[in-house]
Amino acid sequence: MSGLKLRNVRKSFGTLEVIKGVDLDIEDKQFVVFVGPSGCGKSTLLRMIAGLEEITSGELTIGEKRMNDVDPAQRGIAMVFQSYALYPHMTVRENMGFALRFAGKPKDEIARRVEEAARILELGALLDRKPGQLSGGQRQRVAIGRAIVRHPDVFLFDEPLSNLDAELRVHMRIELARLHKELQTTIIYVTHDQVEAMTLADKIVVLRDGLVEQDGTPLELYDDPSNHFVAGFIGSPKMNFLGGVAEEGGIRLSDFPGQLVPSPVSLDAGTPVTVGIRPEHFSSTGTATLDVAVEIIEHLGGETYAYARGDGPTLLTLATDNDRTLKAGDRYTARFDPGVLLVFDKDGKRLR
Amino acid sequence: MSNPVAFLGRTAQYVLLSIAAFVSVFPFFWMVLGATNTSPDIIRGRIAPGTALFDNIGKFLTQIDLPRVLFNSLFIAGVGSALTLIVASMAGYGFEMFRSRVRERVFSLLLLMLSIPFAALMIPLFIMMANLKLINTYQAIILPSIASIFIIFYFRQATKAFPHELRDAARIDGLKEWQIFFYVYMPVMRSTYAAATIIVFMANWNNYLWPLIVLQTNDMFTMTLAIAALNAGYTPDFGVIMVGAIIATLPTLVIFFLLQRRFVEGMLGAVK
Repeated sequence: MSGLKLRNVRKSFGTLEVIKGVDLDIEDKQFVVFVGPSGCGKSTLLRMIAGLEEITSGELTIGEKRMNDVDPAQRGIAMVFQSYALYPHMTVRENMGFALRFAGKPKDEIARRVEEAARILELGALLDRKPGQLSGGQRQRVAIGRAIVRHPDVFLFDEPLSNLDAELRVHMRIELARLHKELQTTIIYVTHDQVEAMTLADKIVVLRDGLVEQDGTPLELYDDPSNHFVAGFIGSPKMNFLGGVAEEGGIRLSDFPGQLVPSPVSLDAGTPVTVGIRPEHFSSTGTATLDVAVEIIEHLGGETYAYARGDGPTLLTLATDNDRTLKAGDRYTARFDPGVLLVFDKDGKRLR
Repeated sequence: MSNPVAFLGRTAQYVLLSIAAFVSVFPFFWMVLGATNTSPDIIRGRIAPGTALFDNIGKFLTQIDLPRVLFNSLFIAGVGSALTLIVASMAGYGFEMFRSRVRERVFSLLLLMLSIPFAALMIPLFIMMANLKLINTYQAIILPSIASIFIIFYFRQATKAFPHELRDAARIDGLKEWQIFFYVYMPVMRSTYAAATIIVFMANWNNYLWPLIVLQTNDMFTMTLAIAALNAGYTPDFGVIMVGAIIATLPTLVIFFLLQRRFVEGMLGAVK
C-alpha cells in the first residue's frame, strides 16, 4: 500500500541543479538506504520526499497518490533528523504526542500511542524528562518514538546515527533493524556510512552528483557493481583499482608490467581498462598471482591486512588468510581467482 | 605579595572598578536619600537620611494624580512592549528563516535607518499623527514604537541560533508557519524574549521626548512627564521629585529582577 515511486524527479536551487532526474521504485515495507558521498543530494532527495523541499519537476507518488504538492503532515510520513530536532521546552511525552495533538486526536488515544511507542523503545522511565536531561542515545530513541506514534506509512531517517559514538552506533543499528521487523513499514534511510547501508538495507540506492548510480540489494551491489564508483563505494576495506591495457591473452597492469593477468571478459587488444579486486578476494590459493612488496601490516586478530605495492605507485590492500608471520618489507605472492576481477572501461563503466 | 607589578595591577583594577561602581550606584543612593530630605536640605548638599519622607510622599500625592499617571505609563509601556516584541520577533524570524537577496536589501535599509536620530523623525511623525487625528492618544505613543529596528535586529541575530531542523520537524508534525512561531519558536527563544522585554519596557517606560510632544493634557501624562512637570514650578521641590523618581524606577526594577536570569541567558544568546 505504501510503496513509493519517483519519476524523473529534479530539484534546482536557482540555476544550480542538485537532483538531476531520479527514477526509483520503493516497495511497501522495504528498508531502503540512500548512500553516497557528501553533497551527492541524498539528504535533499529525502527532504523532497518529506515535503520539506519542493520538487522542481518530476513526480512523487506514495501509495499510488501523487504527493508533489501535498503538505508534509499529510503525506503519511514521519522523519527522524540527524540533530534529533526534539522540542527543548517539552517533556519526552509532550514531544512524542505533539503531532497527534495538532492532528486533533483525543487525549486518551495520544496517551495510549505514546505509551505504546515508549514500550517499544524502552523509554517509559524517561517520559517526564526534557531532552536536555537525556543522553545522545536516549534523545535518538525519543526522536524515533516521535515518529512511531504517528503510525506513518513511511519512515524517513536523515543520518540518524552520525551524532552517536561508535559503540552506540552499532547498538542503535541493531535496534533499527529490530524496529523495522517489528513495525513492518517502509523505511528510507540516508547515510554516508556504507557499513550502515550494507547491514540495514533491503535495497541500497547509491547516489552521486544528483543521480542514481545503481540500486539493488546490498550483495548485488557488492558482487556486481555496474561502475567504478559503486565498486569503490561499497565494501570495506575499499576495492583495489589498477590501471592496465588489454592484450592478447590478458590484461597488462601498469603496476605489474612483467606479467599478464587473465581477463574474465573478452576485450579488444589495446583497450585501456581499470581492474578492480576486493582485498578479501586475495588468498593463499588461486591461479592468478601478483608479486608485491609489503609496506604495512594491520593485525585485526581475525584477519591480517597487508598494504603492499607492485612496481608502480598503487598501494594495494590485501587480505592474507590471517598470515600473522608477514612483516613489513617482505616479498609476498598474492593469489586470487581471475574470475573475481571486475573490469571497467576508461569512463568507469563495468565491462561484462 | 610576591610580585609587586601584579600587586599594583590588581590595585589599579580595583580602584578603577570602585570608581565605576560608585558612579553607577551613587545617583540611585542619592535619589533614595533625597526622598527623605526637604528640598532646602538637598540643595545644601545633605547626604544623610532625613525625616521628610512622609511629608514628601504626601505632597507628591496631592500634586500628581498617581493612579492615573501610573495607569497611563503602565498601559503605554505594557501594550507597547507586547506589540513591539511580537512584531519585531516575527520580523526577525522572517528575515532569518526566509532569506532572499531582496530581503537582505530590505534588512540593510532597516539597519541604515538606525542611524537616523529620532529628532529628525519627530516633526514628520507629529504631522502624520496629527493627520490621523491621534494627537493626545495612547496610540500616538504606542504606534511609532512598535516596529523597533533595533529589536528586529536583535531577534534576527538571536534567530541564527534557532535550529532550522526544529522548524522542519514542526512542519512534519503538521504545524502551520504561525503555529511553529507561537508553539515552537517563542518557547524556545524565551531567554531572548526576556532580554528584549527588559530593553523594550525600559525604553517605553522612560520615553520622554515623544510623549512630551504628542500628549497634551494632564490626564494623559506618563510618569516621566509628571515628574518633569514637578520640576517646572517656580521653586521645584526636589524631595518630592525624588519620591516621584523612586516610584518611576520601581516597575523596571521589578521586571529586571523577575527576568534577570533569562536576561543574562538572552544576552549570551543561549538556545538550550
